[in-house]
Amino acid sequence: MFAYTVRRLLQMIPLLFAASVVIYALLALQPGDPLDELRRQNPRMTAEQFEALKRAYGLDQPLHIRYFKWLNRALRGDLGYSRTYGIPAAEYVFVQRLPKTLILSGLALTLALVVAIPVGVFSAVRQYSLADYAITFLSFVGFSMPVFFLGILLLYLFAIVLPESIPGFPRFPTGGVPGVLWEDVRAGAVSLWEFLGQWAWHLVLPVLTLSALQMAEWTRFMRASLLEVLSQDYIRTARAKGLAERVVLYKHALRNALIPIVTLVGLAIPGVLGGATITETIFSYPGMGRAIFDALVEKDYNVAMAALAFLALMTALFNLLADLAYAVVDPRIRYS
Amino acid sequence: MRNLGKLAVLGITALGLALAGPQDNSLVIGASQEPRVLAGDFLNVISNQAIKSEIEQYLFAPLIGFDANSQNFPVLATEVPTLENGRLRVRDIGGGKKRLEMDLTIRPDARWSDGKPITTEDVAFYYEVGKAKGMPVPNPDYWERVQLRVRDARNFTVIFEPAYYYDTYGGPYGSPIGYAPKHIMGPEWEKVKAAARNLDPQKDAERLNELYRNFFIKFSTPQALNRGAMVYSGPFMLRRWVPGNSVEMVRNPNFPIKPEGGESKYVQKVVYRFIQNTNSLLVAVIGGSIDAPSSVSLTFDQGRSPQLVRRAPGRFDIWFVPGAIWEHIDVNKFENCQVVKDLGLNDKRPRQAILHALNREGLVKAFFDGLQPVAHTWIAPVNPLFNPNVRKYEFNPKKAEALLAEMGWRKGPDGILQRTVGGRTVRFEIEFVTTAGNAIRERTQQFFAEDLKKIGIAVKINNAPSAVVFADDFTQRASECKWTGMFMFAWVSTLAEDGSLFQYKNLNTGAILVPTKENNYQGQNIGGWRNDEFDRLTSQAVLEFDENRRKQLFARAQEIWAEELPALPLYFRANPYVVRQGLVNYVSSAYSGGYGYPGWNAWEIGWASRGAVKKWDQAKYALSTR
Repeated sequence: MFAYTVRRLLQMIPLLFAASVVIYALLALQPGDPLDELRRQNPRMTAEQFEALKRAYGLDQPLHIRYFKWLNRALRGDLGYSRTYGIPAAEYVFVQRLPKTLILSGLALTLALVVAIPVGVFSAVRQYSLADYAITFLSFVGFSMPVFFLGILLLYLFAIVLPESIPGFPRFPTGGVPGVLWEDVRAGAVSLWEFLGQWAWHLVLPVLTLSALQMAEWTRFMRASLLEVLSQDYIRTARAKGLAERVVLYKHALRNALIPIVTLVGLAIPGVLGGATITETIFSYPGMGRAIFDALVEKDYNVAMAALAFLALMTALFNLLADLAYAVVDPRIRYS
Repeated sequence: MRNLGKLAVLGITALGLALAGPQDNSLVIGASQEPRVLAGDFLNVISNQAIKSEIEQYLFAPLIGFDANSQNFPVLATEVPTLENGRLRVRDIGGGKKRLEMDLTIRPDARWSDGKPITTEDVAFYYEVGKAKGMPVPNPDYWERVQLRVRDARNFTVIFEPAYYYDTYGGPYGSPIGYAPKHIMGPEWEKVKAAARNLDPQKDAERLNELYRNFFIKFSTPQALNRGAMVYSGPFMLRRWVPGNSVEMVRNPNFPIKPEGGESKYVQKVVYRFIQNTNSLLVAVIGGSIDAPSSVSLTFDQGRSPQLVRRAPGRFDIWFVPGAIWEHIDVNKFENCQVVKDLGLNDKRPRQAILHALNREGLVKAFFDGLQPVAHTWIAPVNPLFNPNVRKYEFNPKKAEALLAEMGWRKGPDGILQRTVGGRTVRFEIEFVTTAGNAIRERTQQFFAEDLKKIGIAVKINNAPSAVVFADDFTQRASECKWTGMFMFAWVSTLAEDGSLFQYKNLNTGAILVPTKENNYQGQNIGGWRNDEFDRLTSQAVLEFDENRRKQLFARAQEIWAEELPALPLYFRANPYVVRQGLVNYVSSAYSGGYGYPGWNAWEIGWASRGAVKKWDQAKYALSTR
């Protein structure tokens, strides 16, 4: 297993190199230039002045030189500066944006799991009951509801319609992050509970929106997976042994039924780190999804590279972790 | 009874909402964009976002400002330099060039928010930083022409060489005459200078760029500003910036201009609330948590949305302020392109015919409730140089057909016009490009395609995302037939109008402004129009410091333009402003403050119920749905 892990880790090096080349090339080859906008805004700029600006941003060099310059710096831990924010790209991506995304997407993922597993189990155990039909129906609704529609619907309901029509109904925030800073807590201006409460209040709608799809998807998976396991011979054997139904279900069936879920979750985690562009956009939430999207639109190459290369690394890493976890939960699988 | 109770509660909440702004004499402004940096980036090296310039109007007062009537007025300067008061001197320096000297005096009571006086040291500091070698300023043309001469602690002269008329505008706009807090930023700048001493602007351009950007960043990030790293000179000072949420500003007691009745009667706190998604912003406006929108806020359609309009009476005024963004269709006039030659687009007649065939009045009525009026030239009606008496092209398909018939176009069997060019039969099928994803433009395009079909012109739509169509290898390559027909997009018609959008050659600089391979695709006259008289008139006009003579020259240039129609004018975009009733002097016009943002007179903004005196009426500068 150790040798396998080391081998897989070593294989990641050429993979990541190739990924970074592709990402860099795709970024640089998209139509337009980061400075086009500047030139459009200022018709009085001469060709020489424009060339000087290009030099200042290193855009006068050919693509491959730019890439190797970037790689050279990146390997030494310097991911360059954000052209639009002026701060180091690493600080912007990993300090300002990543934690916010971890909170939003992490909570959504947790919520989805916490709801989907018991509901899926319940649905499978009560197959073809009224409750099962209801859950199935809701899962399909959740599955087919576009995020951008659900988000704006929840906003309209909880920030306008309900507060306007039901007296005393709290008005939910229309998005963004709360107006309290961590420094306020440290300075004692705001209590920790107040701070956490504000954050929780702001996160209710986006977390609900973001988790809906995954919740529905995983409920279906959990249900299908458990049903499959429940029809296996060893379950019949367990029941025939006279084991309590609870033991059959949770010890023999559920543990096996969770194996495909482990893979699904493992593969979903890089997605969590990448943020949720649409949800973040609707709720004006400053996460990774928006950061990557904005960086691509504004051609802030260093930021886009930092974020996308990080995602490539995480995808490779969690793929490996999912494989390893597979071996842990499924004794039939052995890597050598 | 229960209903009555519900009504009472509703009434109370509605009242509470209505008083939220006046209650604590504050103002909450909703914006769909958040600035990347503020304050310390005084040359806009890191960012030149609209929202940054708008918010900085509260934090920094210009020496000379621009009011809602597009007039200069003194803010931190004692008076506006004019030829009459002798503070403006223009001299011929030969070669058709002029030199302008402009004397300014800083108000004696002008102070930074920490109480230190604002002096010419701060002005000199601004120019020293701006002129530093390799400084990546977004307006290098300005920095190459400007010089500063300090006379004493409060008096200085700014010299432009060569000078153009718009240099006299001052203000934060066009040719900014700035200043920056030397006592705050100076020590850090000395370190930067030392580090840059041995760097070469050619070889080490990137290194210099990073050094300079790092310098500005130290005084402009949320963290730095929350720490109090900066001082302010405007009517407000930044108190807190919560990224992703808001910027909060409070009154600066050191600001020298006091509004009528004392500043306590005016807004004490201004909060910019950032909600990037405009639909969510609309929800917040309807919900009552926003008092007024920024210039970067709701879209035109959202300003008219039924959910908003239904709730407006008694709560909001909805204004549509005609701006300076000019929607138009440029036409490829390069006859080396086969299609252009076949269709005769380099002749004015088909262009005139197309404009007669486009039902612009119908479009404006159907899509915009008449709130974005039809344009007849490229200069905004609010610009003093605008000429209202140019040839106008009313919707008249008969005239259009006649003009085309003159050129030999006859309806073919498929109902599309055709004619014989050099022995070949060609159909009148024209390419129509615009930015994909811009709903209003795509709708307009469909509308016009129908109009054109009626007179027998087939339209071939070829849209792509703005990043593609505005890339240099597309817009700038009409000469290489990358686009061969009509291209619909917008330019900003600035107060510093110089005619360069349609000049073939700028006679003052000698630059060719039609992008071709020969000039490395420079210039904004992308359709390739050439009219030597237009070039002469506009080149002369920018050197004309007498306003009336300048107006005459531009009036004639617009007449030629409207007759020749190098591009088809559509309309000027309007910006929607949903403002809570009772807020006064929160007024924008196309060029208020220079850029057309509200907040150019931040010290006068207030609530009528708190005693603020109304000086500016938005109704004068806007259309309304009422």
